[in-house]
Amino acid sequence: MPIAVEFQNVSRHFGSVRAVDDVSVAIEEGAFFAMLGPSGSGKTTCLRLTSGFERPSAGHVRIFGEDCEGVPPNRRPVNTVFQDYALFPHLSVRDNVAYGLMVRGLDKTERYARADEMLELVKLPGYGSRKPAALSGGQRQRVALARALVTKPRVLLLDEPLGALDLKLREAMQDELKLLQGSLGITFIFVTHDQGEALSMADRVAVFNQGRIVQVGTPQDIYERPRTRFVADFVGSANVLSPAQSRAAGGPEKWVSLRPEAIMLTPAPQARVSGTVTGIRYLGAMNRVSVALGEAMLVATVPSGAALPPVGAETGLTWDTRSVHEMDGE
Amino acid sequence: MMQVARKGPWAALSDLFWRRPGVLLIVLLGPPLIWLVVIYIGSLVALLVQSFFSIDEFSGLITHEFTLKTYGELLRPSNFDIILRTTLMAASVTIASAFIAFPIAYYAARYATGRMKAFFYLGVMLPLWSSYLVKVYAWKLILAKEGILNWAIDGIGASAVLNGLLALPVIGGNSLSVSYVGTFLVFLYVWLPYMILPLQAALERVPRNLLEASDDLGAQSRQTLRYVILPLALPGLIAGSIFTFSLTLGDYIIPQIVGSSRLFIGQAVYAHQGTAGNIPLAAAFAVVPIVIMGLYLWAAKRKGAFDAL
Repeated sequence: MPIAVEFQNVSRHFGSVRAVDDVSVAIEEGAFFAMLGPSGSGKTTCLRLTSGFERPSAGHVRIFGEDCEGVPPNRRPVNTVFQDYALFPHLSVRDNVAYGLMVRGLDKTERYARADEMLELVKLPGYGSRKPAALSGGQRQRVALARALVTKPRVLLLDEPLGALDLKLREAMQDELKLLQGSLGITFIFVTHDQGEALSMADRVAVFNQGRIVQVGTPQDIYERPRTRFVADFVGSANVLSPAQSRAAGGPEKWVSLRPEAIMLTPAPQARVSGTVTGIRYLGAMNRVSVALGEAMLVATVPSGAALPPVGAETGLTWDTRSVHEMDGE
Repeated sequence: MMQVARKGPWAALSDLFWRRPGVLLIVLLGPPLIWLVVIYIGSLVALLVQSFFSIDEFSGLITHEFTLKTYGELLRPSNFDIILRTTLMAASVTIASAFIAFPIAYYAARYATGRMKAFFYLGVMLPLWSSYLVKVYAWKLILAKEGILNWAIDGIGASAVLNGLLALPVIGGNSLSVSYVGTFLVFLYVWLPYMILPLQAALERVPRNLLEASDDLGAQSRQTLRYVILPLALPGLIAGSIFTFSLTLGDYIIPQIVGSSRLFIGQAVYAHQGTAGNIPLAAAFAVVPIVIMGLYLWAAKRKGAFDAL
């Protein structure tokens, strides 16, 4: 696969702040790529470096092999779905979608025909004559998507595309975006701070922290084999043990992560460690049991229906050593 | 047990307002509404009524009978010229101030921050703090034949251009201070802040991400200006033009001090209600700007100028 977007030692400084600090990453054509990180970690700046709204302080951004230095946003083959959609409030939905075609000089009949096609694709047929203000959040999201896709960009950038939607709508849109990306076959790069969203939608994920990429990999890599303590902490509900805690539990003297589903409750004789149950949360298909082991706290998930010790009781815990994952302490 | 801590008339009043929000609304809105309706609208209605009376040409007394005769007099060439002259002047002042104000307002709204912004506000507002008359007389001196502007134009060797301009029929004259060009310049100077401020407020409200979206979708800067910025700033532009247009329509001091001696509407009103004692005709003249502004706003609304509000 050719490379769609490549960052080569890219930095972007705002005064003394290093928003993006020596980032190198290559995103293949046709990928669904997520940039995941807490706010202020540099992921949105990376997106804006790709769209051209920011210029690198150092390094090179290449789109399909071409260095983008000096190429303004309106001449890059990438379009953006903005975080709050940025629909033009004075234009109808159809004119919003057709905007990219209008500025390219297409006549009215053709651009409206293509805009209506696009509205059909995002499942909003017949909404063309409305104003954006008359639409719900989810519908605006779809219009923004149609507007960004109508000019057939080779790369679509999505900035927290689902951040403003409620949970149910967000899940539906996740599926739709994934399907849409599959059928169009173009590269999607999306920025999110929601690890669940990143893991469920993307084929590859880059985890950002403090302007740097900490880890790039498939969702499985990120989830099961976090490279650093930060990734394990940020990406999920993994138990993170310090070297001392790990050693006390009979493991290596290193930072380790241990997934809650890998831990089993067991009677004391077979247990690796034992502690006090401090809380049980019912999550539908499973229960989430918190167990205090002196300083450390381990969380285990137990399928619903299995016997549970009461809160305050002593319980033993065990796990397969193969599910213990060593990582950097950063 | 519920805690009822407060007693007394104020507590009772506060409870009443809580139970009946409408009472509070009436108490708060009543006085300004009375002022607005009685004094403001009332005087306008009195003016309108006056314009339907007429003056008896022999006795010079006002006949209190409904007639359209006074409005008919407005159409007399000498009077109609005044209306035409004033409207054309107001329109040119408005258009010119829009062109001058836009870049200033755009810079202030998009780029100026901190000290630059304070400097901008000071620069725009400062002229409004000094007396209007002082400014107009200052301009008379600036524009006079022996004034600084003539001297400067002479200095750069461009007096041929100025003389050419002054030699033009109608708008020319002996010097800038006695020509329509002079009147226009002073109007432009005096009313410009009233165009800049609403325009700047409107431009400030255009979200930056809309400009980025336009850019991202492939628009050139001038296309973004034409299809995004201007439509969204249009309410501000209209607000500013209402100021510059109506202020020019009603002004009677500037054309008296700077310009040819031919009358503008404001001067006509002043003359008819004063020495001439023709209150009905003065009232009819005063209605003209109101009608013109009404037509202008109606046309602006039909064109969708306020859709972005």
